[in-house]
Amino acid sequence: MKKENARLKAVNGIFEICLGINGVKKSFSVKNTEFLLDALRRHGYKSVKKGCDTGDCGSCTVIFNGKPALACLIPAFTAHGSEITTIEGLGTVQNPHPLQEAFVEAGAVQCGFCIPGMILSSKHLLDANPEPSEEEIRKYLDGNLCRCTGYVKQIQAVRMAAKRIKNGEKRFRGKAS
Amino acid sequence: MNNIKYCSFPETPKAALAWLLSRKAEALAVAGGTLVAKTLPETVENFVNLKNLPLDYIKKQGADLVIGAMATFDDIDNSKLVRGWAGGTISGAAARCSSQLIRNMATIGGNIARPHSFNIFPAVLMGLDARVRVLSRIGVKTYLFSDIYGGDFKLRPGRDCLILDVIIPGKTRNWVCRFEKFAKTEASWEAYFTLFMAAAVKGGVVKEVRISVGALSPKPFRAQAAEKALSGGKLTSGVVDAAALEFARDLDGVRASEFKKEAASSLFKRFLNGI
Repeated sequence: MKKENARLKAVNGIFEICLGINGVKKSFSVKNTEFLLDALRRHGYKSVKKGCDTGDCGSCTVIFNGKPALACLIPAFTAHGSEITTIEGLGTVQNPHPLQEAFVEAGAVQCGFCIPGMILSSKHLLDANPEPSEEEIRKYLDGNLCRCTGYVKQIQAVRMAAKRIKNGEKRFRGKAS
Repeated sequence: MNNIKYCSFPETPKAALAWLLSRKAEALAVAGGTLVAKTLPETVENFVNLKNLPLDYIKKQGADLVIGAMATFDDIDNSKLVRGWAGGTISGAAARCSSQLIRNMATIGGNIARPHSFNIFPAVLMGLDARVRVLSRIGVKTYLFSDIYGGDFKLRPGRDCLILDVIIPGKTRNWVCRFEKFAKTEASWEAYFTLFMAAAVKGGVVKEVRISVGALSPKPFRAQAAEKALSGGKLTSGVVDAAALEFARDLDGVRASEFKKEAASSLFKRFLNGI
């Protein structure tokens, strides 16, 4: 098949797709009606949360081909050939990402439902802009809604993480559950 | 999406158009895809994913600014070139579309191709006299943006033609512009109205003026009575008041409710007084 004619064909409404998730190549069977959010959850990536399912809340945020995106708006079959990062690929309990450390230390997590998405959005922000202002953080996280907090702690956490990443610090060591 | 049998990933606009024009399966081109979940027609069988098309450029071509159809709102918001154009109004408008997560995905091409009254760019592009390059079975042709949103344009972007890029004329580079989105919250996609205002003033005289209004009607429109009241005149308080009155009449044409008329007129006067 020529590259410019690449085309997937569904058999009985099922597409076979290949994609990279957290650096690991995966092959999924997905329905033609299924969105990436459901496909990921079905395959065990439970950190991708189902909130509004209409692209309003940001709970389903994943890093999709290098940019944070809403998995509930991406038809699963269109993810063929894409690179996806979920929070499972960011850090572990033993070796958390500085953003994960900072969110815990700043008390930015209450129910935790929105946090995976918020951390992934923050990660992309810090990758692009290592020293964001409060205004830039607020603007960048405007699609990740949190119903528990007033966003103050999350913004503190992102600033804390930015500082630590810049200084190469790593303080918190989580315990394996 | 029950009937989708194929998903194509064309690498060139020509290949994408070939899929669209193929009679074997009803096809629809999708760029950013933020509206897909809610608006994909059930009859579509071939989902033509445009993500691999090399149309995400933002460049200067001669005196004009050219924005590729696959440039996302985020790309436009962060482009130095766009920020320096028309006082940063184009990038400012991009930054005020919905949330960052949507801005990362949504493209300017999709914003034009899928007409929706709440879309941000149509009002802006109409006010900037933009032109749009379209690839169809007759080849590449450039249309005035206002013609694409007019009744005579028979092609259906994403169905039987593809938008390649948007050309913003060089004359607008130093225009004094302002974009206003009046909505429940900053991140609300559903604005009560959007307002794009631009003026070129020389020696206190208004040489060119554009007022376009979005979200009040299915398609954006130019407030022509208000533009007429301002063109060629000096910006005295009398002229501003008279133009605001005309502007309110323009809004009457789409049966805008009182509060929207009141708010839009205030923003319109604020813009003129700020020049």
